[in-house]
Amino acid sequence: MPSGRKGRVLKGTNLLQAAQDLGVELESICGGRQTCGKCQIIVEDGNFPKHGIASHPNHLSPQSALELEYNQEHELDGRRLACAAEVLGDVLITVPEESQAHKQVIAKAATQRIIEVDPAVRQVYVEVQPPTLGDPRGDWERLTTALETQWGLTGLTIDTKTLPALQSALREGDFNLTVTIWQETEVLRLQPGYKEGLYGLAIDVGSTTVVAHLCDLRTGEVLSTQSAMNPQVRFGEDLMSRVSYANSDPQGLARMNRVIIQTLNELADKAAADVNLTSQDITDVVIVGNTVMHHILLGINPTQLGVAPFALATYSPLDIKARDIGMNLNPASRVHILPLIAGHVGADNVGVMLAESPQDQEQISLIVDIGTNAEIILGDRKQVLVASSPTGPAFEGAQITHGQRAAPGAIERVRINPDTLEPRFRVIGYRDWIDPQAGDSIPITVKATGICGSGIIEAVAEMFLAGIINSKGHFAPSAADRSRRVQFNGPTAEYVLVDEQLSASGSPIVITQNDVRAIQLAKAALYAGSKLLMDHRGVDHISRVVLAGAFGTFINPFHAMVLGLIPDCELENVNAVGNAAGDGARLALLNHHLRLKAAQLARSANYVETPLETSFQEEFVAALNIPHASHPFPHLAGSLPEEVPEESKRERRNRIRMKYKTTD
Amino acid sequence: MSDEIDITKLETPEILELIQDDLYDGLADETVLSVNELLKRDLTPYDVLTKGLVAGMEIVGSDFRDGILFVPEVLMAAKAMKAGMKILRPLLIETGAPQMGTLVIGTVKGDIHDIGKNLVAMMMEGAGFNVINLGINTDVDAFLEAIREHNPDIVGMSAMLTTTMPYMGVVIEALKEQNLRDQVIVLVGGAPLNDAFAEEIGADAYCRDAAVGVETAKKLLAIKRGQPN
Repeated sequence: MPSGRKGRVLKGTNLLQAAQDLGVELESICGGRQTCGKCQIIVEDGNFPKHGIASHPNHLSPQSALELEYNQEHELDGRRLACAAEVLGDVLITVPEESQAHKQVIAKAATQRIIEVDPAVRQVYVEVQPPTLGDPRGDWERLTTALETQWGLTGLTIDTKTLPALQSALREGDFNLTVTIWQETEVLRLQPGYKEGLYGLAIDVGSTTVVAHLCDLRTGEVLSTQSAMNPQVRFGEDLMSRVSYANSDPQGLARMNRVIIQTLNELADKAAADVNLTSQDITDVVIVGNTVMHHILLGINPTQLGVAPFALATYSPLDIKARDIGMNLNPASRVHILPLIAGHVGADNVGVMLAESPQDQEQISLIVDIGTNAEIILGDRKQVLVASSPTGPAFEGAQITHGQRAAPGAIERVRINPDTLEPRFRVIGYRDWIDPQAGDSIPITVKATGICGSGIIEAVAEMFLAGIINSKGHFAPSAADRSRRVQFNGPTAEYVLVDEQLSASGSPIVITQNDVRAIQLAKAALYAGSKLLMDHRGVDHISRVVLAGAFGTFINPFHAMVLGLIPDCELENVNAVGNAAGDGARLALLNHHLRLKAAQLARSANYVETPLETSFQEEFVAALNIPHASHPFPHLAGSLPEEVPEESKRERRNRIRMKYKTTD
Repeated sequence: MSDEIDITKLETPEILELIQDDLYDGLADETVLSVNELLKRDLTPYDVLTKGLVAGMEIVGSDFRDGILFVPEVLMAAKAMKAGMKILRPLLIETGAPQMGTLVIGTVKGDIHDIGKNLVAMMMEGAGFNVINLGINTDVDAFLEAIREHNPDIVGMSAMLTTTMPYMGVVIEALKEQNLRDQVIVLVGGAPLNDAFAEEIGADAYCRDAAVGVETAKKLLAIKRGQPN
């Protein structure tokens, strides 16, 4: 997977070494002897305007004798061994999932929920009349008779890719068949004799992560959950850059479509293999995704989604064949794609609605799914409203001085002692808190590489609680007197979270004034969006906050509220639900009535285009303060610090006024 | 407390200092009081503008650039500035004071992000510019019409999406076709932009934030008018 790392290396540098120097850890067992084959990479071929380079396989040194030998024994399929290649020119390298030394951390455990299992497909066993010379009917016609007389099923059709298998299946099973039927209308699969086993796949195509749950459609059990990075990342980090890529490169859409379908196929294969099945056993699929992922998956150019008025090609749910989008499952396998809501609110949000069901509750729920865009759902039994708020990539670690994605080495949790201003923190990949004050000795492998989204949220909230920054987000000059960790650099300041000894790079990991500002902007966009929906619904408080998405799982509700990321609410009613979009897909897979419900939900939800609301700017600006300029947070009573008064300027003005007063 | 103060008893330089501090703290009423007091004295409206309001907003701008002040404080300051300008503007016209310059600004077609662009507009007003804010989703025709009507020195364009920023190039091409490109300085800004993009589409400069926008506008305008520094 592209790690997003880039840099310059000397011509002739070994690629494995270059990758390590840039902080990309490749798997290697043989240690560069060109024998283990773990460090396989793909050299991209072509122009990559995003990176401003032309990459070509010739820009790596030719294959060595050892590498050629390896290739003869184990098909490299165009890949190179990083340890055998020298960098001779510009290259864009993709690191396949299996070559990564540290896999990405993804919250992917499907939550257990009680639902009635009533899938769109079912299996029936029939005993068919063998043909005789006096019976001119075809095998299909005799099968339909059997289905009608034994199961009361009429008017069935058979998929054109299934029909050719009919005659051999009938004879192999001695005219006894297990038939898989979709929605009581179409025959998808024929298995000789009596067979049990009905399987489906629920897929959430996220812009960063793709998750697939293989489910037993009779028990509802999740048999295997597989996830992968979305390979489109190499063409554009965020959604809009992928839209731009589809718009600017004639091959862009086709490329992005090809790699995502390939990933879906790989996930299906892996999940099936995990439980000794094959992808042939998968007969039904439900897919959710945001609007851009949805369009690209279907081969629809997403260009219109990049510019106002953000017109969708269609927002209706789709029932198609898996093969129509290039998925290699059972040839007749079905795919249901949940509906979309609006230009920026996709099937993933419909999935979240299905899973969290705000529309079935008396009390007001606020559900936020935080990514580059935060999607907000607010409502109750009476009305459900949705919006998308442009939080930007700060919560994903972008635009933050030492920000990074959630991966091993990233600081994910932070505590700051309000008296000493000394930090404690947790690093992904190591189970214990690290307390530098206590002189904790830690293995070299858990040195911190940066701060991920949940870490920066906790850090900024803790800095506020400790009086390092004030409610306006400004570093308090007084904090510099209290600790060496607060350093003023001329007018701007930073907090040293990790000293160089504990940092992987050897230089301190800091949080700067501008980092705090970036987080303020992001959280204000989210808060303002929530507030606008509350105004539309006519409520001034909410009963429950749901943090959806992988990111939400790692956010501490207390810190999210201190920061003013979410409105005031009973803290114990703030819950992370993980991949709710994927859960929604799973629900629609297990119960086909929920597909109808999803369609109704999508059409009845009120979409609010927040940036067009007249009060958006006002709400946004007021929400920049920590936690907020004017809204009270009664549930944080006693936790928030006393406001440190601003000195200098106000003092200066008062000095002038006082001068007048004393001379009066 | 300020209501109780009789500023007529302060020295003029002290009131100028006071205006700057009041702007910094976003105190509109106090700013208006000081402006009125200064106008009663020997100062021309132009002096009140440049030595008081504009000087004050310069401090606001530089502290914003350094991260000391943030959007809410800057908006408050801009509101105080606007209150002061309301008094000064007719007087400036009446006395034929030199014009700082005119800016036409808008978020480009396909983009509905407003706030960053509004901040630039306010900071430019704070620097004494006459600002025509065309709002969001502004197409080529709207830009051309505004340019013909207001004859601006500067055209500012904003975009928040990588998908909408190319439209800036469309506007610049239209300016060239209409032989308007050389009349105006084109400044562009927005989260996904950078210097290279500005150069590629033929803008005069990319401005990282509102404070840089004001600095760049002043600098390029001085050069255009043949009075660098």
